[in-house]
Amino acid sequence: MIGILICQIAVSIVLASIFLIRPSVTTGAAWKILAFIGLCVLPALCIVGGMNTHVQRSEQTKFCISCHVMAPYGQSLYIDDAAHIPAQHFQNHRVPPGMACYACHTDYTIYGPLKDKMQGLKRIYVQYVSTPPDPASIRIQGGFKNAQCLHCHLGARSFEENPIHAAIMDSLTSNQMSCLTSGCHDTAHDVANLAHEKFWKPAQ
Amino acid sequence: MKLNEIGMRRFLQVSSTLVIAGLLLEIVSLLWFHPLSFVLFAFVAATLIGLGILVYLMSLVFVAAPSAEPHNIRQQSR
Repeated sequence: MIGILICQIAVSIVLASIFLIRPSVTTGAAWKILAFIGLCVLPALCIVGGMNTHVQRSEQTKFCISCHVMAPYGQSLYIDDAAHIPAQHFQNHRVPPGMACYACHTDYTIYGPLKDKMQGLKRIYVQYVSTPPDPASIRIQGGFKNAQCLHCHLGARSFEENPIHAAIMDSLTSNQMSCLTSGCHDTAHDVANLAHEKFWKPAQ
Repeated sequence: MKLNEIGMRRFLQVSSTLVIAGLLLEIVSLLWFHPLSFVLFAFVAATLIGLGILVYLMSLVFVAAPSAEPHNIRQQSR
């Protein structure tokens, strides 16, 4: 995909170079059309293609953990403990491992991806301009919403047939009771205690 | 200086320069896997390409197209 986009950019550069070196060629009708394609249509498509590629890239796990403060969170995905929610989702492919962070932390609403990008820009600012926080002290603004768990689990047989889930379903769907902080699934990204954890080593 | 006095050639050269600079930066941002590459693309490369497109579109609006009629024929008809 990036290869095709780079080829498209190369064609645009060649066309734009012609009009930079010999702008007088645009007197003919065919060259005027070519100038419109080379200086308007193709560059606009390059912006759209570039934005699409960058947005898709920012959903990747390796992109999220490439920031220094996020590295311990990446390590926590390999903790060898079935009670550790992010680790068991990642290791058992309950979320796509290549975009594990995004699958659980995106806001599944119409403007969710846009809000995620704005949050990402704020984090880049904190990382490079302000003082990055201690990884263990990072908290999600507004808390982790049940909607992010229920996006996948709601309607799943094993989830709905569980008697505990069935008894408190209304509280879960209305976010009155948190999946994470109500004492049920409360072990997530325990980065403060990484030194004491045992880690799973993938075969590949 | 009025915009229509600048001339089509100058507009095209400025537009091409901006578009080429933006596209080269876009290639760098695509090959560089880093959170800052998105910033480079969104705030520098896309802005330069957008400005290049804008300058090209301005050239279409503000610069009068040269007449297809040869200069000597125009003089004879006066």
